[in-house]
Amino acid sequence: MVLSQLTKSVICSAKLLFFFFYYNFFGVVTISRKAKFIDGAKKGIPITFGYVPMGIGYAAIALKAGFTPIQTISMSFLVYAGAGQIIAASMALSGATAIAIILTNFVVNLRYFVMSTCVLNQVEESNTPLNIMAAHVTVDESFAMFSLSDDSSIWIYLGIAITAWLSWCLGAAIGVVLLDILPVIVTNSFNISLYALFVAILVPSVKESKQIALLVLITAVLNIVLSQVLGNWALIASTLIGAVIGMNIVDDEYLLSGDA
Amino acid sequence: MDYISLAILGCAVVTFIPRLIPALFIDRLNFSPKFEKFLNLIPYTALAALICPGVLTVDSQLWYIGLIGAVVAAGLAWKKAPLGAIVIITVVVLITVYSIVPFF
Repeated sequence: MVLSQLTKSVICSAKLLFFFFYYNFFGVVTISRKAKFIDGAKKGIPITFGYVPMGIGYAAIALKAGFTPIQTISMSFLVYAGAGQIIAASMALSGATAIAIILTNFVVNLRYFVMSTCVLNQVEESNTPLNIMAAHVTVDESFAMFSLSDDSSIWIYLGIAITAWLSWCLGAAIGVVLLDILPVIVTNSFNISLYALFVAILVPSVKESKQIALLVLITAVLNIVLSQVLGNWALIASTLIGAVIGMNIVDDEYLLSGDA
Repeated sequence: MDYISLAILGCAVVTFIPRLIPALFIDRLNFSPKFEKFLNLIPYTALAALICPGVLTVDSQLWYIGLIGAVVAAGLAWKKAPLGAIVIITVVVLITVYSIVPFF
């Protein structure tokens, strides 16, 4: 009798405490933040179509290179760099030293500096801890999707980017379990999915503005040429040189995000 | 610590630092309109550079596989298909192409 009353009062006060904290510390704002985060997570779903299979592909190489399952998954969690991880695993497979792997990753992933700057310059409703979280989950796809949208809330960005991050880790986990049961044709066909995503994000802007279309063409050709000369540095070099060229050929009115 | 764990931790550090720096300093910086324009152009140039020439290496033996995929995706995007549909249809088209290729 006493015990049941005690339990009741404990549950009751726990409920009160919960509501107290919920409404006082997060209040109504939580609901709209949560709604934005979920909205972002939904927008990020197309990225998962590419990330899960690509994560499986990465896991296959990593396991072949002698990574343990824990190492394979934790690299996806900690490093979170699509191409960078696949290159690292391939290098380990061919017997490269740790230093060589780390230096190559630094060069390949230096582009995230540019992407992180772009994204964080665009977001609103943010603070430093949220910025740091957003920075870690910034990759080509989340950056591309967010920076060419009208959205500016950090919560929408985190929704997109965390969905992508978790699907990349999930891919690695599935890869560890499945090994390489999947036929090569299927994995090769999924290799296209991230490119399909990039093309699909880019096309509306190209369609809308001949100036953007010209800039895209120039940068593409520039990168084809530079990749012969600069190797891993080409991507970041062509991105920056392309943007400088763009300052002279694209009128301000065509730029989507403006000061947002 | 074994060499793979060392490589993973090293990669994590050198990948996180470039991402982190903007997060720490962005609030204290005021960019000029010119630099804002430069930043706004980067998504377009970065995407162009990510697609070309990478898309041609989707299949290391058959360069046109990636090209077919890119054309299909571009066509669908031009017709304003939703993003998820574009990705799925492109993958399905490529699986179909792969099943036809051996007949040539």
